[in-house]
Amino acid sequence: MRQRRADEYAEFAAARAGHLYRSACLLTAGDTHLAEDLVQETFGRLYVRWGRVSRVGNPAAYAQTVLTRTFLAHQRRRSSRERATDVFPDLPGAADGDAPLRLTLMAALARLPAKDRAVIVLRYWEDRSVEQTADVLNVSSAAVRTRCVRALGRLRELLGEDLAEYSRP
Amino acid sequence: MPSDQYHDPFEDRLTAALRDSGDGFDADVAALTAGGEVRGRRARLLRRTAVLSGAAGIALAGLGGVLLVPGGDSSGPRSTAAAGPAASTGPAASASAPAAASFSGDDLLRSLKDLLPAPGKFREESARGTGGDLPPHAHLVYDDGGGAAAIGLGLRRVEPGSQEVRELTRCPDRTFVDYDDCTSARLPDGSLLMLFQGYEYPDRREDTKWWNAELVTAEGAHVSLSEWNAPAQKGAEVSRAEPPLSVEDLRKVVTADVWRRVVDAIPERPGRSATGTPQAPPRAVPGGSIGATLTELLPDGLTVVGRGGQESEYAYLVVDDGRGRSLVQINVQPGMGDVAGQLHGDAETLPDGTLVTTRKGPGEKGAEGVVMWTADTMRPDGFRVVVTAFNTGAQHQDATRDAPALTVGQLREIALSPKWRALR
Repeated sequence: MRQRRADEYAEFAAARAGHLYRSACLLTAGDTHLAEDLVQETFGRLYVRWGRVSRVGNPAAYAQTVLTRTFLAHQRRRSSRERATDVFPDLPGAADGDAPLRLTLMAALARLPAKDRAVIVLRYWEDRSVEQTADVLNVSSAAVRTRCVRALGRLRELLGEDLAEYSRP
Repeated sequence: MPSDQYHDPFEDRLTAALRDSGDGFDADVAALTAGGEVRGRRARLLRRTAVLSGAAGIALAGLGGVLLVPGGDSSGPRSTAAAGPAASTGPAASASAPAAASFSGDDLLRSLKDLLPAPGKFREESARGTGGDLPPHAHLVYDDGGGAAAIGLGLRRVEPGSQEVRELTRCPDRTFVDYDDCTSARLPDGSLLMLFQGYEYPDRREDTKWWNAELVTAEGAHVSLSEWNAPAQKGAEVSRAEPPLSVEDLRKVVTADVWRRVVDAIPERPGRSATGTPQAPPRAVPGGSIGATLTELLPDGLTVVGRGGQESEYAYLVVDDGRGRSLVQINVQPGMGDVAGQLHGDAETLPDGTLVTTRKGPGEKGAEGVVMWTADTMRPDGFRVVVTAFNTGAQHQDATRDAPALTVGQLREIALSPKWRALR
């Protein structure tokens, strides 16, 4: 029993690590060190609760929720008042060889308040609905919509032209 | 609402760009999963319930400090080694004692050695004091003649009464972790203490034993003490049958008053824990004030039967006027001026410039017959207060009554209260 659970957990972690890490990189706007830290913390929490987690319908979604909340808790700890980052620290992920788009996108994400970034990642990377996003963030749907509108507006300002290559015919 | 009502090509482009960029981050899967497991194992050990009701078997050697000295420590210098005034006046002292200026890593090592039950040889000493960004810790290898053993001590501040504290002091579930013994108890001074005897590798692939004591005081000082029957936590041969400190020894060391003073000396600014684990958010919980203010502003005749919320922006109450439950939720959001047009396109403008919109509409979570009534307001500087009431106690549950317990007019009045501003 115990061994079976441990195996299940190990299998799950190995299968989800890549995706969670990529989510974390977006949440942290390219801070890969912090992203690793957040993913490890997320796995640590899942490990502890694996018995329960494995019984919920969608452990992958649950993991994403834990990751997002861990990220936000980390951000709260850093700053008691949410604000956009005007001067962002060096981004470990932003090495010279990175594609320009990624740099631009990470820089734009970095300028969003943490919670707005979480909304964007959940809605457009994780493809969650407004209601699902609200559940993850423990806020009302109205708050998610507001944040989404605001964040999209800012990203549009910051990225408008740069994303033109993604225009669909 | 705006982002849902029409399709925005920018959203498609953003999705594609996120996908491209996100996929470019290469994960070191092995490192992530291994690191996660290490943290999980540690956390699990730290996770124990306050089952305590009966477990008072743990007779607490004095948490005031005076009684601790007999814990095998015959040398006087402990109090000086630890610097600062010893809290010798009983439990209250730890709350009121002035914080010591600081403790160096050497102070911690000295205090730890002084507390160990028998003289011995020490090596591989390392420690960090209270001055830096990271929490203080001390580590050494101790040999009392029966074999070298690693001992580690970590100190930090946690939020008293928090979920984290409950988890820290809860014995792990035996269905997940194989261990020999674990007790968790509340001490007379309100501290929670967990004493654990288990294995470094829960799967027992090696015989390394890990014994551990976790103490969280009522003031939120967290003292974590671990010992092994090997000179290293991992990767060293077992050197003795059991770790050198008995459970009783562990208890005496971990409850020593000096550690509380060390935690008191940690600068208030919360840093990362030794494992980089995000800690509990800072103490101010404005979400609580939002809920309290909402309660104050409720019209007469409503009983609050449930409440919750989080952080600085959101709170909810479940109220009952005798005709069924009604969920009332509130968002208080500063700095929303840039979306005023989208939120309040058809709003009424009050003389002071505040925008007010009220709406009656269906619920959002698909439950049967649910309606939501909303008053959405924004002050001229972008300070937004939205109050919403439902005709159900929980959004995903079917309607329990015809209408919410508050009228739209009452919601509007609550949203426009000057009290929200006072919370910021």
